[in-house]
Amino acid sequence: MSALTESALRANRLPSLEKAAVWIVLIVLLGLAGLASEAFFKFNYLANLLRQAAPVGITAVGVTFVMLLRGVDLSVGAIVSMSAVTCALVMNGLPGNLWIGVAAACACGAAVGLANGLVIAYGRVSPFIVTLGMSIVVYGIVQMGTGGTARGIVSPGFREVLNGRIGGVLPVLVVCLLAAVAIGIFVQSRLRFGRSVYLVGANPEAARLAGLPVERVTVAAYVVAGLFAALGGLALLARTGVSGTNPGAGMEFDVLAAVVLGGTTFAGGRGGVGGTFAGVMVLLIALNLANVAGLPYAAQLAIKGFIIIAASAAHSWIGSRGGGRNDE
Amino acid sequence: MRPLAIASLYQGLPRIWWALLALVVIGVLLVPQFRTGSNIVNIFQQSATLAILSIGQAFVIAGGMIDLSVGQLVGLVTVVACMMFERFPDSVALVVAGCVLLGAAIGLVNGELINRLRMPPLILTFGMLSVLQGGIFLLTDRSVGQVAPPIAFLSNGTLLGVPVSLFLVAAVGLAAHYGLQRSVFGWHLLAMGNSAASARKAGLGLARLTRWSYLVSGLCAGIAALLVAGRLGTGFPNAGNGLELDAIVAVVLGGTPLKGGRVSVVGILGAVLFLGVMNNLLNLFQVPAFTQIVIKGLIVIVAILADRPARAARPA
Repeated sequence: MSALTESALRANRLPSLEKAAVWIVLIVLLGLAGLASEAFFKFNYLANLLRQAAPVGITAVGVTFVMLLRGVDLSVGAIVSMSAVTCALVMNGLPGNLWIGVAAACACGAAVGLANGLVIAYGRVSPFIVTLGMSIVVYGIVQMGTGGTARGIVSPGFREVLNGRIGGVLPVLVVCLLAAVAIGIFVQSRLRFGRSVYLVGANPEAARLAGLPVERVTVAAYVVAGLFAALGGLALLARTGVSGTNPGAGMEFDVLAAVVLGGTTFAGGRGGVGGTFAGVMVLLIALNLANVAGLPYAAQLAIKGFIIIAASAAHSWIGSRGGGRNDE
Repeated sequence: MRPLAIASLYQGLPRIWWALLALVVIGVLLVPQFRTGSNIVNIFQQSATLAILSIGQAFVIAGGMIDLSVGQLVGLVTVVACMMFERFPDSVALVVAGCVLLGAAIGLVNGELINRLRMPPLILTFGMLSVLQGGIFLLTDRSVGQVAPPIAFLSNGTLLGVPVSLFLVAAVGLAAHYGLQRSVFGWHLLAMGNSAASARKAGLGLARLTRWSYLVSGLCAGIAALLVAGRLGTGFPNAGNGLELDAIVAVVLGGTPLKGGRVSVVGILGAVLFLGVMNNLLNLFQVPAFTQIVIKGLIVIVAILADRPARAARPA
């Protein structure tokens, strides 16, 4: 309880500049983007940007809960691959298999999350290494499933609906992304599970003494991360239409960078889904800026790196003005 | 080394060495090709890169930080080294020194940026990973240059039946063991890993510790890159992809928790050999490539679970 009142007091005392930091960075970056090209302020462009953000953004919502718990999930990239590949394989081009494919993908994601959660909660080992190992396992299983070549066909209707636009204007994937973020914010601020995640992350020992089911909350958080990663995989499949063999490769790092940029640090107990959404947008606009400037791929990579560093530095600078502490 | 140090080393022999022993026994009993001299030399030569990279990573992790940029740093130095070796075939020593310095300089930049910008090391080095990858592809998008014969000998040669790279690993390992576990610098670094706040209150210069540990990490990446260049014979731009994760896995399997505060160079070397022997055995058993991947992942999980009791007995 004391952790709760203390954090409530802190929230009242400081108009949290720390929380606003990532939004300030996002607005500045959008301003810069607007200077570089007027297209950035057109509805169509912004909608496309959000649609591009859907796979990483939806996945990042789930990972935020794990990070709030002082955990981390490096297996989400592999789960994204697994979800897309499983869905395409199960659908096999038949309209009747559409929902079975979606359900199978979600079940796979939740199952991997459950395995992560059980090992981490009851084995009490480093989540970094467990989920890293899990990502290798899942990657291997996906490769065994595909045999190393792109297989499986998406059901007709799946791509048309998910990749379409409502009324010819608003992309469905944008609605999905915003819905995922809204659900995440609702869960973190209104549900018992969400509040427990904050308390356990802020101080696991205190949470245990206060009678919170720390293990169950941990397992649930990893299942949520796995499930959202599976949904992210479906979003990716909807965008590309083909599963490939490892479409989610390396995505865990984009997700991780977005979550940390969004203010959910490795220390746990602070941050939330709203910041993560802003973090995803910062990363994406950074990449788009480099793209719009017409730079070669190599330079884009370098600039993406510079912007990640600069945005994070600006973030921690603004955050420190707000009285937030800076952990080494 | 003092007798006392040897005794304590024996008592604290990290668990990963017992796992390694078990693997070796399996190999000797079940696979005839395993115990051939050329196979064992091969295992050592293949493991040398990871050994040096992991030792560098240990300096950073011991202090409670992380360096994700080393994989791409290896790629960059490999490419630069091979380009330079081809252009200046007569000044091998100079190029070698330049490459190691390049690694150290980029490590120093990492450390300084973390100090000045007060950033989480994971994010900064993740950004640096992207910057270095961009740098590599600005230089070339295909394999370039050619490695100098002395470096190829360093990676692939043997002296009196012992791989040359083993001498290098032994030297680096000894220096790291001394630097991390027997020197004031190491103790201060471990104190910082245990609790940065306490270390600061005790008056330790955290900025200096950060700067030097990243410099060592970069330096080791530079040396590892030369070994990679020697093994490949040419500057392959993707040579370092994913190496940072292998190094982190080796460090943790070797008994160093990711939050820092405790480190064992002997354990790390055991973990690197464990991974090398496992790789070798899976190949000799002719396990299909994809199944090998699954097994490797499972072993990472099982190994971290098996390492748990020792950690629980000594809470960090």
